[in-house]
Amino acid sequence: MLSIRDLSLSLGEFFLAGVDLTVADGEYFIVLGPTGAGKTILLETIAGIYAPDTGTITLDGRDITRTDPKDRGIGMVYQDYMLFPHLTVAANIGFGLLQRGVDPARIREAVREAADLLGIGHLLDRTPGTLSGGEQQRAAIARALVLRPRVLLLDEPLSALDAVTRDRLRKELRAVHRATNTTVVHITHHFEDIFALADRVAVMQDGKVVQTGTPDEVFRKPATEFVAAFTGMENVYCGVSRVKDGEAAIDLGGIVIRTVTDIEGEVCVGIRPEEVIVSREPFESSAVNAFSGTVTEVRQNGIFSRVVVDAGLPFVAVLTRQSIARLDLAEGGPASVTFKASAVHVFVR
Amino acid sequence: MDTFSRPTPFKILFLVILFGLIGYMAVVLAGLVAYPPLPALVGSLASPEIVAAVELSLVTSAVSTALCILAAVPVAYSLARFSFPGKRVATTLMNLPLTLPPLVAGVALLIFYGPSTFGKMLSSLGFDVVYTPLGIIVAQFFVNVPYMIRVTRSAFETINPRYEHVARTLGCTEWGAFRQVTLPLAKNGLVAGLVITWSKSIGEFGAVLMLAGATRMKTETLPIALFLNMSTGDLDLAIAASVILIAISMASLLIFERCGDSRGIF
Repeated sequence: MLSIRDLSLSLGEFFLAGVDLTVADGEYFIVLGPTGAGKTILLETIAGIYAPDTGTITLDGRDITRTDPKDRGIGMVYQDYMLFPHLTVAANIGFGLLQRGVDPARIREAVREAADLLGIGHLLDRTPGTLSGGEQQRAAIARALVLRPRVLLLDEPLSALDAVTRDRLRKELRAVHRATNTTVVHITHHFEDIFALADRVAVMQDGKVVQTGTPDEVFRKPATEFVAAFTGMENVYCGVSRVKDGEAAIDLGGIVIRTVTDIEGEVCVGIRPEEVIVSREPFESSAVNAFSGTVTEVRQNGIFSRVVVDAGLPFVAVLTRQSIARLDLAEGGPASVTFKASAVHVFVR
Repeated sequence: MDTFSRPTPFKILFLVILFGLIGYMAVVLAGLVAYPPLPALVGSLASPEIVAAVELSLVTSAVSTALCILAAVPVAYSLARFSFPGKRVATTLMNLPLTLPPLVAGVALLIFYGPSTFGKMLSSLGFDVVYTPLGIIVAQFFVNVPYMIRVTRSAFETINPRYEHVARTLGCTEWGAFRQVTLPLAKNGLVAGLVITWSKSIGEFGAVLMLAGATRMKTETLPIALFLNMSTGDLDLAIAASVILIAISMASLLIFERCGDSRGIF
C-alpha cells in the first residue's frame, strides 16, 4: 500500500499543498487534473526526485520519505518517454538490471520477456530515435516494468501519442496491469483514460487533492464546481439556494430550479447534458424542473448532437440525430427542457 | 529558392560585401603563408627554436585544457541544474574573464602569484609560477576556463533533467546517473568545448606574457616565439610560428563545427 500524508512542496510555480492519498496494492489509480495542478511534481516526489517540505510517504508500512530513489522500488514513465538516446532499446530496458549487477545472460532474458509483453521484441537492436512514439512509450514502460517495481508511476503516458495509438496503448496498459498486478499511479488530463483504466480516481487542483473516489462517484457526484467543469458537466450556473422542508429552490437569475439539498446560500449547480430532456411542448411528468424556450444551436458532434435551448439560461442537451428529426428541432424554433431534481448537482461556491 | 534566378540590387550588394570580406581574409592569411620562399619556411619550421615552441605549446595547452575541463564540468553542471543563492552573481563573475583583456588577467595573476602572501608561500613550497612554464599553464587556465564553462553549461542545459530522474528510479546514484547518462549525452558539447579551449590556450599571448614572461627557449610558446622573433626582425621564424598557429586554428575550427552547436560561446 502506498500512503501519502499531508505532502507539501514548493518549487516556484509548481507546488503541492497538503496532499493525502492512499493507493491499495494492485490498484490502478488515476490522478486527474489540469495543467499546472501539481500532478507531475506529486509523482516526482513519490519517486524521490524531490524531497517534500512536509509530510510523509510510506510504502508497505515503510517510511520512504527520505529514501534514495534507487532504493524505493518505484518505476517512473514520462510523457516524453525519456529513453536514453545513446543506448539501444535493449540497453534501455536492461539499464536498471545492469545497475543491480544482474548477470548479463539473465538481463537478456528479462529484457526479451518485458519487450515481448509490450510487443516490441523486434525492436531491441534499434536506437530510440528510430522508433515511433508508441514504440518508444512501450519501451519506456518495459524499462520500468522489468525491475518489477512495487509501484509504477505514469506521467501522462498517452498524451504525446496520436489518437489511434493512444487507444491501442490504453488497452495494452490495462492488459499489462492485469498480467503483472502492479500498483499503478497514472496521471492524465484525458477523461477517457479514467473509464478505460482506473479503479479509483483522485482529482487535483492547485496542488491539492479535491476529490477521491471511483470513476463513477467522481463523474456522478463531482465534489466541487471545478471537478464538474473538468469532468464534462456542461450546464454549470451559479445562484442562491434557499432550503425549505428539505427542498431547495435555487434562483439562478432568470429562472428558479428545484432540487433536494441542504446547502444554502451562494451555490453553483451542474446538470449533465445527457440528463436534460428536450421536448417540443412542455409535458406532465415527475420531473420538477421544466422550462420553455427557444433552440439557439444544433450542432452535430459524432453520433450525438448538442442542442442548446435558451430557457432563461442556455441549457445544453445531448440528443441523437433521429430524435432531433422526430421532434423537428431547428435553430430559432420552440422547445422545452425538463430535468429531474436528482439531476441537479449542487456545490458550495 | 530563387536566390540566384532573380538577383535584386539588395541581394547583389550584400553578397558582394560577403564575398569581398571572405576574399580579403583569405588573401591576408594566404599572403602571410606565401611570403617567405618555401625552403626558408620549411627550414624555419624545422628550426630548434620553433620545434621547442611547438612542444612547449602542446604540453602546456594540453595540461591547461585538462585542468579547464576538470574544473568546468562541475561548475557548469551546478550552474545548469542547481538553484542556489547568488547564482546570478556567480554566473556574471564566471563570465567576467570573457570580456576582461588577457593582459589585465595576466597582471592580476602576476601580483597574486608574485609578491602576495600566497605567492610567497607557494614559492617557499617550491612552486614557482612567475616567469616559469608553470605560469604558462596557470595563465592559460585562468583566461580560458570561462569558455569551457560556457560551452559545457550549454551542453548540460540542453539535456532534459528527466533523463537523470529516470536513471535514478532505475537504480543509479547521483554519480551513476551523471556518469552513465548525462556525460554521454553531453559528449558532443564537451568535445566542442575541449577543442575551443585547447585552441585558445595555444594562441594565448597577453596573460602568458605577463605571468610567464617571454624568455627564449624557456617560456617560449608559439605566440611568444612569434612576438620575440618579430621584435628581433627574424621574420621567417615569426612567420613559421604564425603558419603553425593558422593550421591549428583551422583544424580546431573544423572539429568544433563538426561537433555542432557553437551557441553560447561568445
